[in-house]
Amino acid sequence: MAEQFVGKASEFKDGERQIIRIGEAEIGVFRHAGEFYAYSNFCLHQGGPACEGLTIARVEERLRPDKTSMGLFFSEKDMNFVCPWHGYEYDMKTGAHISDPRLKLRKYDVVQKGDEVYVVA
Amino acid sequence: MSSPERAKSGAKPGLKPAPKAAKAKAAPAKAVAKSAPAPARAAKAAGGAGRTAPADKAAFLKAMAKGVAPNSAASRKLVEKKGSPFAPAPAAQAPRVEVLRRIPAPPVVVNTPESDAALQLAAAIERMLETGDMGKLQPHAQQALVASLCKLYAANQEAGERYAILGGRTLVAATDVMVVCGALLKAVDLQVFELGMWQSWSAG
Ligand code: FES
Repeated sequence: MAEQFVGKASEFKDGERQIIRIGEAEIGVFRHAGEFYAYSNFCLHQGGPACEGLTIARVEERLRPDKTSMGLFFSEKDMNFVCPWHGYEYDMKTGAHISDPRLKLRKYDVVQKGDEVYVVA
Repeated sequence: MSSPERAKSGAKPGLKPAPKAAKAKAAPAKAVAKSAPAPARAAKAAGGAGRTAPADKAAFLKAMAKGVAPNSAASRKLVEKKGSPFAPAPAAQAPRVEVLRRIPAPPVVVNTPESDAALQLAAAIERMLETGDMGKLQPHAQQALVASLCKLYAANQEAGERYAILGGRTLVAATDVMVVCGALLKAVDLQVFELGMWQSWSAG
């Protein structure tokens, strides 16, 4: 495992993504809310391009104190990304599948050194 | 002894045979020299012709004893040779990063004061729905709002400003949409088949 230079943080806008290849691995590098995340671009369902679909806020149901539903809302803080093939949805911060967190995309560490961004792969 | 015979037996004129220990020492060097084609070939050619000066032969022997000198033509040849023990160990190849695609961030929305006011009103309506105060926004106000939004959206479409009527971060149930669409059609005395006809004649 070595640090592979991916690009400059100043050229990587918030909300932007890059799909990169390092050796055999295809990796999606996200910048979300100032943080970098990198995951394998192979969906756990059928190998679709997991990191290339929609990024969408998590849908959550809000409940009143008596547990009656106030309806569905988009989360203010949690973001997901969705595989474009059949809609497997993964947590941006962990790469875990939303409905079954035991399923996790392979996560790669991202190291930022000054303005330079490296993926450990 | 004739020259060809000397070449065969390996005896060198004017040189004492090397002592046994020295010979043993030189053995690995010989093994190396065996695969060193350039000096060996040159020497063989020279020796074979019988025209080699003793000095050349001495140089040849020295080279044989020393093995292949680094940075010599012979060593370079050996390095090039595939599978040669002189070839450098293949360096662990650092995987290169290849950017396959860049997916840009969604466009940033810049609000106007009017948009801000509309968003505040929308948030207030959402709060009313949450708390169940549905009567707070009275029907005449709702009618004015729906009418002006209908006209604004249609005018934008006409002007070529195409965008979805509901944003990505809106959760409107399909039932709500059917209720509102039905009510709008009824309000302007249109039947669903008329809507269908209009859609099939136009790009709407
Ligand atoms: S391959 Fe990703 S959801 Fe099916």
